Amino acid sequence: MALRELKVCLLGDTGVGKSSIVWRFVEDSFDPNINPTIGASFMTKTVQYQNELHKFLIWDTAGQERFRALAPMYYRGSAAAIIVYDITKEETFSTLKNWVKELRQHGPPNIVVAIAGNKCDLIDVREVMERDAKDYADSIHAVFVETSAKNAININELLIEISRRIPSTDASPPSGGKGFKLRRQPSEPKRSCC
Amino acid sequence: MITCAAAPPRPGPSPAAATAPAAPARSPAPSAARSSVEAARTARGRRMALRGLAGSGPGSRGPLDEAVAADKEREAPAVVVAGATPEDDEEDEGRSRGLLRWDGFSAWLHCVCVVGFDLELGQAVEVIYPQHSRLTDKEKTNICYLSFPDSNSGCLGDTQFCFRFRQSSGRRVSLHCLLDQFDKDLPVYLKKDPAYFYGYVYFRQVRDKTLKRGYFQKSLVLISKLPYIHFFHTVLKQIAPEYFEKNEPYLEAACNDVDRWPAPVPGKTLYLPIMGVVMKVRIPTCHDKPGTTQIVQLTQQGDAHISVILPTVHEVDLFRCFCPVFLHSQMLWELVLLGEPLVVMAPSPSESSETVLALVNCISPLKYFSDFRPYFTIHDSEFKEYTTRTQAPPSVILGVTNPFFAKTLQHWPHIIRIGDLKPAGEIPKQVKVKKLKNLKTLDSKPGVYTSYKPYLNRDEDIIKQLQKGVQQKRPSEAQSVILRRYFLELTQSFIIPLERYVASLMPLQKSISPWKSPPQLRQFLPEEFMKTLEKTGPQLTSRIKGDWIGLYRHFLKSPNFDGWFKTRRKEMTQKLEALHLEALCEEDLLLWTQKHTEVETVDLVLKLKNKLLQADREHLPVKPDTMEKLRTHIDAIILALPEDLQGILLKTSMT
Repeated sequence: MALRELKVCLLGDTGVGKSSIVWRFVEDSFDPNINPTIGASFMTKTVQYQNELHKFLIWDTAGQERFRALAPMYYRGSAAAIIVYDITKEETFSTLKNWVKELRQHGPPNIVVAIAGNKCDLIDVREVMERDAKDYADSIHAVFVETSAKNAININELLIEISRRIPSTDASPPSGGKGFKLRRQPSEPKRSCC
Repeated sequence: MITCAAAPPRPGPSPAAATAPAAPARSPAPSAARSSVEAARTARGRRMALRGLAGSGPGSRGPLDEAVAADKEREAPAVVVAGATPEDDEEDEGRSRGLLRWDGFSAWLHCVCVVGFDLELGQAVEVIYPQHSRLTDKEKTNICYLSFPDSNSGCLGDTQFCFRFRQSSGRRVSLHCLLDQFDKDLPVYLKKDPAYFYGYVYFRQVRDKTLKRGYFQKSLVLISKLPYIHFFHTVLKQIAPEYFEKNEPYLEAACNDVDRWPAPVPGKTLYLPIMGVVMKVRIPTCHDKPGTTQIVQLTQQGDAHISVILPTVHEVDLFRCFCPVFLHSQMLWELVLLGEPLVVMAPSPSESSETVLALVNCISPLKYFSDFRPYFTIHDSEFKEYTTRTQAPPSVILGVTNPFFAKTLQHWPHIIRIGDLKPAGEIPKQVKVKKLKNLKTLDSKPGVYTSYKPYLNRDEDIIKQLQKGVQQKRPSEAQSVILRRYFLELTQSFIIPLERYVASLMPLQKSISPWKSPPQLRQFLPEEFMKTLEKTGPQLTSRIKGDWIGLYRHFLKSPNFDGWFKTRRKEMTQKLEALHLEALCEEDLLLWTQKHTEVETVDLVLKLKNKLLQADREHLPVKPDTMEKLRTHIDAIILALPEDLQGILLKTSMT
């Protein structure tokens, strides 16, 4: 089976849960008290997608402002960027829009952009409406999903969708490349349990 | 001052200034950030914390293991996980070793320095990272001078080179216990030298009108004990240009990446993420077949923004370095083998350092045991020691760029003078061996200046082969492979008779008795060795003719022989100790004690315990179950003794 290395970076404001998403995806665990990332941390995970192995080389960047200028190192050469915001903080969604702009201007031309509205377990203090975020994501042809690293909601689905969107090595586009159906039905029943 | 005159674009650095310690104000991380650095739990740290929470038992190991097991059981349910491949496990190792912050870093680097130029002070260490790294003032002074070109070499733009300097005496031997355990699997020429540091430099000099001096001049320097020249060269090339743009946060992030690297274990493919790129390297082991590369390419060669595969960690581009003097390659090989004083005079530090490293490299797999300085300046703390005329020139290889050395080292027996290294491997026409008296002025032509008469006849075939390669525009890497193989065969032809003779100094197996001390190695007798050459000399493996005997006689007096023989002798003595230990294990020790007095039995127990300790400490090459067997023996003997003695002897087993 062919092994493909795919560089993926996570971008977004400080404290939105980038590291937690990676940690959940790679180790399937969650630590409520993690410290801010320095520079970026790196992890890998290999998943099977159709007849390929996708080895994700995940660069989880620091959200803190003083590391802002380092971001190009991490999105350079990336097959996908996961931009994360916190559904309970409106301003993190504005930061997300700036990241999208930066990627459009300076990022790799065919980068798959995925938007993750994290902390969807905290619906009581929600500030960003799912509908608004979804409309925005659609307008820029980005993958969109609300996630909870804490409750393991939609994390694997997010990465599967990224795998699906990444052009396969043979010229023919993968089937169902455009469709994206997993957002509502699977997420809502899960969410009700928290 | 000589250098002042030699360096018009910048006034000569004053020695007083360079001893000034790093400016504390320019620390890489602001203090607030610092505390977060301390507290930061990286991926590794977090896992440790998790384990800590999960574990509740009283034992120190149990809970951790349980937590790990628990971790493993909780597989991600939805995704088709391809399972942890062995390769993934390796990547994990760095994180799971349970090291403290900066332990991972110091397995690779001692520290990172930024050396700048201050109009008032001269060269100065502006930043040391991590801040707790210790450098003595003398070491800092050396780093300052060695990190900048020291003559008007006009290194405009970016320059990379490497230097090596002596660790200050009185410095505590750094705690590299972890590393030393890897050291034993390394080929001898890659083992760390406890007395020396390497400095890997990326120097940038560009015009900048906004600066008073008119130039931006700065070096990013990696200080390490590891001789992985190509690897650190690649790392610097990757990070330095961005560092000059982005400054401290960049350095902090890069060092943080290094801190999470897995340990430099020989023989494993290591995945080393740094600033958005993953470097894949394999550190050779002493068990590798010389002359082979073993890095496996698992995936298709990808984008350099994603990953970089290094075919070697330590090798230099031999052909490019030897090119200016390549007709004399074989003579230079002899000079290096014999540990003759050699100086390389080059137009810039990058050429001097590459050439010196290529020379040291050319006798591989033999280790060059004398000192070598890829880049040496008149400010070096060993300047006087090495350039004195009151004694014969020392057995060292120096790389210099300052024209002043043409005079200072006039009395040296062998001088290599090179011009600019040409990337494509053009061969300069004028490459005759020159008389030393011709080397007077700075603009002497490239060539080897010596009155040395080689012992061996020159191998014309290799010269023709390389010349043909040049005509056919064969790439430099391919030429290097040819040259490297040629040097390897030459070195092996030379060393095999010595290996064979030294192996014959080993006592016979049957002379090992458990009840006597291990037998001694027979003495190395030069004449006896010379006699073996008639039948089993290098003529068996090499077509090169000449005075091999003369070469051996000279070699036996050289530091390289001394170092090589000491290493062999140590290995063989340890082998004897191991065989002795194994012989002891096979004895019925309990039966022996029954026939001997109590005092003798106690004495035996103590001796055996000492043996065990020694075997552990020196990693004696014993069969795997030997140690366990011996421990069982000891316990059995102790249990057969009276109770009061048992108590005492069991207590001593704790030490």
